[in-house]
Amino acid sequence: MRSRFDEQLAILNKELTQMGAMCEEAIAVASKALTMGDIKLTDKVLSLDGEINRMERTIETLCLKLLLQQQPVARDLRQISAALKMITDMERIGTQAADIAEIITFLGGRTGGECEQIRFMADAASQMVTESIDAFVKQDIILAGAAIDRDDVVDDLFLQVKSSLIKLIAEKPTDGGYALDLLMIAKYFERIGDHAVNIAEWVAFSVTGEHKK
Amino acid sequence: MTKKIFKSIMVVAGAVLIASLVIIMGCLYRYFSNVQEKQLEDELSLAVIAVEWDGRDYLEELQSKEYRLTWVAENGEVIYDTQSDGEGMENHADREEIQEALRNKEGKSSRYSTTLLEKTLYCARRLNDGSVLRISVRSVTIWVLVLGMIQPILIVVVVALILSGILASHISKHIMEPLNSLDLEKPLENNTYEELAPLLNRINKQHRQIDMQLSELQRKNDEFTQITYGMTEGLVLLNEKNIILNINPAALKLFHTSHFCKGKDFLTVERNHDVSRAIQDAFLSGHSETRMEREGKEYQIHINRIESNGSVIGAVILAFDITEAAFAERNRREFTANVSHELKTPLQSIMGSAELMENGLVKPEDMTRFVGHIRTEAGRLVTLIDDIIRLSRLDEKCDMPFENVDLYEVASDVMAGLADIAAAKDIEVTLTGGTVSVKSVRRLLAEIIFNLCDNAIKYNKNGGTVEVAISRQENNAVIAVKDSGIGIPPEHQARIFERFYRVDKSRSKESGGTGLGLSIVKHAVQYLNGKIDLQSSPRQGTMIQISFQEDKNDVVNV
Repeated sequence: MRSRFDEQLAILNKELTQMGAMCEEAIAVASKALTMGDIKLTDKVLSLDGEINRMERTIETLCLKLLLQQQPVARDLRQISAALKMITDMERIGTQAADIAEIITFLGGRTGGECEQIRFMADAASQMVTESIDAFVKQDIILAGAAIDRDDVVDDLFLQVKSSLIKLIAEKPTDGGYALDLLMIAKYFERIGDHAVNIAEWVAFSVTGEHKK
Repeated sequence: MTKKIFKSIMVVAGAVLIASLVIIMGCLYRYFSNVQEKQLEDELSLAVIAVEWDGRDYLEELQSKEYRLTWVAENGEVIYDTQSDGEGMENHADREEIQEALRNKEGKSSRYSTTLLEKTLYCARRLNDGSVLRISVRSVTIWVLVLGMIQPILIVVVVALILSGILASHISKHIMEPLNSLDLEKPLENNTYEELAPLLNRINKQHRQIDMQLSELQRKNDEFTQITYGMTEGLVLLNEKNIILNINPAALKLFHTSHFCKGKDFLTVERNHDVSRAIQDAFLSGHSETRMEREGKEYQIHINRIESNGSVIGAVILAFDITEAAFAERNRREFTANVSHELKTPLQSIMGSAELMENGLVKPEDMTRFVGHIRTEAGRLVTLIDDIIRLSRLDEKCDMPFENVDLYEVASDVMAGLADIAAAKDIEVTLTGGTVSVKSVRRLLAEIIFNLCDNAIKYNKNGGTVEVAISRQENNAVIAVKDSGIGIPPEHQARIFERFYRVDKSRSKESGGTGLGLSIVKHAVQYLNGKIDLQSSPRQGTMIQISFQEDKNDVVNV
């Protein structure tokens, strides 16, 4: 009985890792599409988003099945409930990466080179997602903490992006629409950072049983 | 063990008990029945004599509780009965013993009561007057006897149970004790009963077998570890559930993980989507390949399914570093593309001119110019092909003789040949330094100095300077070529030694270079084990310094 439960938990972990890997890829491809101005890449982000959504359903079903059939307690219960919460955040990351991809198609091949910080943001957000997924895979609270701390960097960068975009609009009013698109992208990156923090917090919860808020 | 022994003891005890009970009961019962029958017959003969003598009076006077006497008339009517009223009794003519007595003078029978608890024995004898006297006695049946003995039997059974329990545990303890204290590590050194000897022999044999197999396994494992630990390629063994069984140090480094990953899912080590998919493919189709980039290096990953007896038992992942190979491949592709392009351009030009002349579109006075054009372009082609041949010779590393060469002499020869071009651009070329003799290949040194000076002149401004300095610094023979030309922007400096690489692509025709000069220099210097230093700043000039390090014996300062 227990061994079957363990097997199912292993499957849950595996699927979660795969879903996390897809999120990493989605955001990495989205930021590559931005910096290279490559509109073709955005299709890949959209298809990844679809895959991530399907994965969310699968994992959700698996979690509910485990809760019903095995009635887990203590650590197992924490793990499964944390998984249920994490997939929501992962799904949001996927959707927001798709949103970024969609906006990139409006930029007409411009790469946001006017505002360097947006690239730093893309890198930092991407790294946060990687760190939080890593923290999950290794069940490492220290890594989770690193991901949570990095959120401040992303938030700072967002403010910098905002002020430099204000300057851009002031200098070149004709680029107003472009600047706003960039601002949206920056905001999405900032949101992705927040979701990565959530994931890291749930990792910490499933390990320690305490949820910081 | 105790249970089994207990059971067998109980079975034996039970069987003995039942058997003795049956035998004793059977024998005794028969004996007593016989005795009783004899007594009955004796009593009857006494009674018959008495009745014949005394008649009814005897019977009336007889006071016996045990025996019952019945006097029956010839027709079966009861004349007298000692225990009940004779007249009230039914006719006895149909009784077995009476009939027998009437027929044979004597009769016997026995009847059981309805409950089987009592048996009545009858004995009858015909009197002289034809009537029959019957005697009967009641006795208990064998079952009643047995029933009466149940209590002592039960006590015996309980005692037997207790005794056999104690005995069984004692025996089994006694049997098991030497078995429990067996030293299975050294089976032959045990001192136990001889029934165990075959078992111990066998254990000993299997011990030796296991030891041999273990050491064999250990040896194989060591071999495997030795082989995989030395490998520069990353190697990972997975089982059919994607769990890491083994991973070598190269793979540990590649995937940034530690030995603790053994026994975990491969996903925890590498969750790259392409890699996961490739592993799935390999499990389905047997083999798959993918590429992966990690820290600026490119890896080719081969995944093979492992099968045993028709079932999949795992997969092996092999990761090669193909950074250099990929770079070389890209270079080769670029080179081929460039060569075709560079060869095609002059040929196209020659074709164009020739076609114009063929169709008579060229005026006679322009003819000389067109033919001159064809000649220049053909000359360009020849130079280009010459350069390519030189390069390919350097690539093939064909043996060239090393001899003592004076750098200064070579440089001055080369510069004499370039004097005309320099003069055309009004460039002042100077050679400084003195005789520095090195062991080297004269032709290659000339090639190096020629190409460097040629570039220094070509990419110079009119009225500029080119300074060539030959010197010896410590163990190094140094050639330095310094110009006051257009310089090389920093972003191009790393690539100018690549074949056909041009800083300013649009000006290549104007300056007449092939784009192979510096590439030839690089290869020649490599062949001669030298080193190239480049210092350049745009619009100020370039200095390229070639140094050959040699043993003290080889450098001769004259």
